[in-house]
Amino acid sequence: MSAGIVTHGLTKVFPPPSRLFRKRPPAPAPAVDGLSLAIPPGAVTGLLGLNGAGKTTTIKMLATLLRPTTGTATVDGLDVVRDAREVRRRINLIAGGERMVYARMTGRENLWYFGQLYDVPRAVLKRRIDELLDLVGLREAAGTLVERYSRGMRQRLSIARGLINAPAYLLLDEPTLGLDAPIARDLRGVVADLAESGVGVLLTSHYLAEVEQLCRHVHVIDRGSLVAAGSPAQLTAGTRLPYSVELTLTAPAPDATKAVEELAARAGAEVRHDTDPEGRPRVTLRHPDDLAGELTTTVVRAGGAIARVEVAPPTLEDAILAMAAR
Amino acid sequence: MSAAWRVVVAEAFKQHRRIFGTKLVVFSMLVWPVLTLATAYYTILPVTAAPGAAARWPLVADPQRLAAFLAAGALAYTFFFSLVQSAWHFSFERVSGTLEAIFLTPASRLALVIANGSGALVQNAWLFGAFAVAAATATGTLHVAHPGMYLVALAALLVPAIAWGAFLNSLLMFSRDSAFLYTLLDDPLWFVAGVRLPLFALPLWVKAIGLAFPLTTSLAILRGALLDARDASDLGGELALLAALSVVLLALTAVTLRIGERHAQKTGSLQLF
Repeated sequence: MSAGIVTHGLTKVFPPPSRLFRKRPPAPAPAVDGLSLAIPPGAVTGLLGLNGAGKTTTIKMLATLLRPTTGTATVDGLDVVRDAREVRRRINLIAGGERMVYARMTGRENLWYFGQLYDVPRAVLKRRIDELLDLVGLREAAGTLVERYSRGMRQRLSIARGLINAPAYLLLDEPTLGLDAPIARDLRGVVADLAESGVGVLLTSHYLAEVEQLCRHVHVIDRGSLVAAGSPAQLTAGTRLPYSVELTLTAPAPDATKAVEELAARAGAEVRHDTDPEGRPRVTLRHPDDLAGELTTTVVRAGGAIARVEVAPPTLEDAILAMAAR
Repeated sequence: MSAAWRVVVAEAFKQHRRIFGTKLVVFSMLVWPVLTLATAYYTILPVTAAPGAAARWPLVADPQRLAAFLAAGALAYTFFFSLVQSAWHFSFERVSGTLEAIFLTPASRLALVIANGSGALVQNAWLFGAFAVAAATATGTLHVAHPGMYLVALAALLVPAIAWGAFLNSLLMFSRDSAFLYTLLDDPLWFVAGVRLPLFALPLWVKAIGLAFPLTTSLAILRGALLDARDASDLGGELALLAALSVVLLALTAVTLRIGERHAQKTGSLQLF
């Protein structure tokens, strides 16, 4: 039995809606098209793409809420269609947007209700509810009706609901949507801890810094198909986006400026000269390689005195935007 | 405790908190059937004075027995219509997003819809049921062959009502456009099941339609067992028909749930509202 979530050629085409007395329109383009992924246990894997790329459809197929049109998806070797019930015991899904909980029940009652549906043993359930309420910071509001919760509190309760069956795999679809920054940071900590404890996590998020921070491996999809995969660093390097090296001199140094121009011409780097807010000369080099070392050496050898050097490597966000623009 | 029983307990609790848990709703549980009964009684009362009415329907000569006849109808109707309401409420879970959360779980779908129906039934009908039994006992209108017939009458109400509720849930859960059933099953259910009028007064085609609804036979057994002192052997035909209807409804529920979930997985309709 292969561990982890594995998909082969996963494809989903939603049938067009049938209309009375009207010819059924042709089938639309696939929402997910031949996707092959691997989500190992004990790590956070990212699934990125712009809106409509097929992320949520993929996650819902893995969660058994949608049936693949073709292709297969397995969770620890169990097929998501044929063995759906067993798969549901091993997974859970947390989606952003504070839905999936009952407003007229308290936080504790919501967790108890879903624990019953998952058939969590009674003694374990009581302890787990307390632990989860502590984890998401809702212990004090546990007896309050959810309709009185703030948006962030509801989302935190949704997160606790998603953990009530102690899933081996957690599917997170924009889990920090609408959360305040400190709560989102805490959630990232929880996700990292879960992965550390052996849970396999698949994360989609529009907050790419979040993905960069948490994910060991990222799949990028566009119009339902896989367009790139690798670690955030590999994806960023693969797009050959420029590093930005900004060097500030303590005083004008014509020889140093000339040497920088020669370096830029030799390396094929984009160069810009301006002054910083204190009026000191500043030079910025943009190049796919990090030229910070060469730049500082060149300036010092030409007699320039350096006040400050700042390197801005390309981010995952830059890489995704570049891929989307292709 | 089995997984299915835990689902029943959880669903009943959820319904209590979501729908039945307020004082106003508890108050309405008694007021609504009593008002319905009063409306039916005073609508029929002028008809009972019509020449020849007593010859065709002897019951109308005795206002107390007429009231008992209508109360039995209102009681059975309360049981069955509470399940229509419960299924209607369940369909709102699509909007709140909780339907998807439920379908993420490994809980048995059949247990879920049966639990939803039985939870609603117990909470919705107990108050009027207790009131009707107390009123009938106090006025001496009960004519029961032997005490065991109370259990027969109760089973004849509960079992088919739960099967009916499960079936409706299976329909309403999977189509966002099936709320019309709520309207379709209100007044017509009164009419075809003989809630206000004796079945012999209805046209043949209405009787034929009525037979397909378990409420019709449930009501015949309820009235026969509690008002006409008929015993189980007298009611054998009706009991067999009701058992068959309940089995068919539960089988249809299982099939509908299977087809419905597969359809929802194909179209993504669980998230559409």
